[in-house]
Amino acid sequence: MRRARHDDLAAYDELVRRYQERIYATIYHMTANHEDANDLAQESFIKAFSALKSFKGGSSFYTWLYRIAVNKTINFLKQRRNKHHMSLNDLDFNAEHDPDLVALISDKTPQRDINLSELQKKLNEALLKLSEPHRMVVVLHDVQGVSHEEIADIVGCNIGTVRSRLFYARQQLQGYLAEYIKN
Amino acid sequence: MSEKNNNFKQLKQLLKLKRHEIPPPGYFNHFSGDVISRLRAGESGQPEGLIERIQSESSLLAFLLPIFEARPGIIGALATSLCMLLLIGVVWADRPDATFNDIAAVQPSQASSQADPVLASVAPAAVPLEPAESSGIAVSTNPVTSLQPVASFFGSSPNPLFQPAAFMAPGR
Repeated sequence: MRRARHDDLAAYDELVRRYQERIYATIYHMTANHEDANDLAQESFIKAFSALKSFKGGSSFYTWLYRIAVNKTINFLKQRRNKHHMSLNDLDFNAEHDPDLVALISDKTPQRDINLSELQKKLNEALLKLSEPHRMVVVLHDVQGVSHEEIADIVGCNIGTVRSRLFYARQQLQGYLAEYIKN
Repeated sequence: MSEKNNNFKQLKQLLKLKRHEIPPPGYFNHFSGDVISRLRAGESGQPEGLIERIQSESSLLAFLLPIFEARPGIIGALATSLCMLLLIGVVWADRPDATFNDIAAVQPSQASSQADPVLASVAPAAVPLEPAESSGIAVSTNPVTSLQPVASFFGSSPNPLFQPAAFMAPGR
């Protein structure tokens, strides 16, 4: 990172490669649109590079980079308001063999004939109904596996707020997806 | 509560589906290359100001349309303001020397003096004259009234060297 701060683009290329998947995935899960996620992820890395000299190291580079991506994404979504256009990525081969998902679409779901692609669409639609701060917490914690403490640092609020947002967001999602997760 | 927790457990299982959503094959092979290319091309990623944002839009209309669509009151207020400005402009054009207050509220005495020609000719004399005006140079802060033809009170030319041609022959 020291080299990247001195405008060494080769060094910065290594940093981008290290974090590109996580940054892209966070933005993609927030926007449910591959093209938007691609643009926003690239712009986040470009902005991070230009701001690298002002990075004081108060938090980890990873948290700082996340913060840039999160702010950029939330600003983008606010500008776009409620005009959501989904452009979903394909599911990988492992999805069909995930025991949790297999269980959900077989004996536990009343909609037994639903396939994974339909479930994916319903899930993304439900996520888009959440407000940006609530969606962000669900994406970071339940999808990305980021801890409460790190989320508080990234989003810029205390841990109690993260927990309450997470609880409220899950309740909302549960309501939207009731027919797919209730017995 | 246990039922709720159980449901959250199922919800978490369902959310696992999101982890299986992957971008097109080979996408990440060129992602960092694209970022570096944009950096080499000179992109700084600095936040754009309002003017830059407007300029970057394809047109001003494209920039304003989403705002108007979201808040229809804004377009109404803007249209009303434009109508008011137009109205004020028309009134102002009719009376170029009048101030905004003059247009907004016309004095009743002024209105009556303009209606009566006798009062209109007397009214300027009531205003105390400046020294320059008393020597015959027309200087006024109110050009509308100063441009009016004012009749001489003495019935003669104001030139003191001028003598009326009226003399009697000697011995008469």
